[in-house]
Amino acid sequence: MFLRRNAGKTVPLVLVITLAVMLIQSIIALINSIPLSIRTIYRYTDAFLGVSPRLDPTMTPTFVKTLTTNPPVEIEKVILCRASGAQVKSIVGKWPFAVMAMERADLDYYLQRQGAKGITGRFPKDGAPEMIISESVARNLNLKLGDTFLKPDDSENFSRMPVKVVGIIKADRWMMLSNKQYFADTQPIPIDFALIFTKDISKQGEYDRWAERKMKGEFAQLFAFHQIEKQSSEMFAVLYKIINLVIGVLVIVITTMMGMLMNIYQSQRLVEFGLLQAIGFTKQQLLKRVLIESLIVIVGGWFVGLAAARGVLLIAQAALMTPNAFALDVADPMALMYTVPVPIAILIVAIGTIWLRFRNFDPVAVVERRLV
Amino acid sequence: MIQATNVSLVYNDHEKKVFACNDVTLEVKPGEFLGILGPSGSGKSSLLYLLSGLKNPSSGTIHHHGKDLQSLNDQQRAELRKKHFGFVFQQPFLLGYLTALENILAISPASKQRAEDLLAELGLRDKLHRLPHELSGGERQRVCVARALINQPEVIFADEPTAALDHTNGEQVVQLLNQHRGQGSLVMVTHDPTMLASSDRVERMTEGTLVGR
Repeated sequence: MFLRRNAGKTVPLVLVITLAVMLIQSIIALINSIPLSIRTIYRYTDAFLGVSPRLDPTMTPTFVKTLTTNPPVEIEKVILCRASGAQVKSIVGKWPFAVMAMERADLDYYLQRQGAKGITGRFPKDGAPEMIISESVARNLNLKLGDTFLKPDDSENFSRMPVKVVGIIKADRWMMLSNKQYFADTQPIPIDFALIFTKDISKQGEYDRWAERKMKGEFAQLFAFHQIEKQSSEMFAVLYKIINLVIGVLVIVITTMMGMLMNIYQSQRLVEFGLLQAIGFTKQQLLKRVLIESLIVIVGGWFVGLAAARGVLLIAQAALMTPNAFALDVADPMALMYTVPVPIAILIVAIGTIWLRFRNFDPVAVVERRLV
Repeated sequence: MIQATNVSLVYNDHEKKVFACNDVTLEVKPGEFLGILGPSGSGKSSLLYLLSGLKNPSSGTIHHHGKDLQSLNDQQRAELRKKHFGFVFQQPFLLGYLTALENILAISPASKQRAEDLLAELGLRDKLHRLPHELSGGERQRVCVARALINQPEVIFADEPTAALDHTNGEQVVQLLNQHRGQGSLVMVTHDPTMLASSDRVERMTEGTLVGR
């Protein structure tokens, strides 16, 4: 009743908590979108183990033999492909991305393994400077059918001849694929890059870790998704330490501010508390009433804050992230966890403030108008 | 019913002892209208708060039906004040966010019909759902009277209930308290002897001491 009939006093309190929760959740979710975007961009690497020689380009078959001898899980296929580098856009600038060139039959297997649902346009012709890209890449680089992506005068996306996009793969995963013959004809040093696929895709990670142990000390470079995951969390470790500090300071500032607001808020009700105690309410009953009201304000503010943050993140997703194929989890559980200390800390301060007020409270001082 | 024996209440005022009540012995009898008359600062309000259990005496005892009030815990005292006593204070204190009717129901949520009847009897039939700021001072004090009467208390303690009202409204409030108290006692402290015209007994108080009738 008090909260409803005193909206002018209650709403500002709820709003302060709402803004704090909204701020924290939005910031964390947006920052988390950086490693999430990186994992999304390179998610395609979870379908295989990539192997390339570091020194001797002829070593690829040897490495493949080593990695397919007595593996812990059954190997389904090995694709030998060629690769070159390109750049995609991310929230934190440009990131390297592999254009993989393979035989037509291997392309079919590869796309099926990546969960592609078809292709708009066509596959690249053998030996022709053509490529196919997935929908995410097309959105990220603003490319459409017929556009030229790799160019002789583009140092970031280089090719000896202009390479046209002839097909858009219907898939969420990021892919840039071309035909092996064109790469073989135009690359000065022929280096075969091996992609090793386990029969059971769920055991690819287990196989990748075995392969890493097996190839220790060899002059070979392995590419596995769990490495990307590890790197993406390690590269932001310092950033997250800074964020923790910032959020910690924010929680302290907001809690102190809320504690002071709660103090003023409750001070305005001293006459009410004094009167109620004088006419027969116990301190415990009043404390319980105030605690329930505080809980409603704090938990209500927290929920409204979460809803508001979701709104802000949905807008950011629609306006900024999706058009560039950046990943954003609007219901990021980690961001939610970061908001939890806010209501808890405010509740503790509120309880402390109220308890201190009630501890030596004399209702007679109120009804005698010595304390108003 | 209420027996105060050799009751004193001492304050420390800058290391100097001040007797708000000094060795007071007094009985409140069932059904009587007891007036306590005295000038401002004579300790009459302090005596009222002692008798009603809102304050503990520094020495002496106060018994209610033979039970020492000091032996009661916080909850038992609150229960006593809520169920057996009624209070009207100098200022017409009401909860500002509750209507006249809701202010009474805050004390006794199950007594809606009685609360409506009481307010009607006190001339507030049309103002049941008004908020306190929509009522005059006299009307607010009448709501306080209704709140004090709602549980048909054994004793109503009235601390200068007319202090914030003009003489006519003040007399009306005293009259209403006296009329509607039923079998209950009324203990009223005031500095205005004309307000005690209908009382059964008047005790005079000066400098914390009862000085006779």
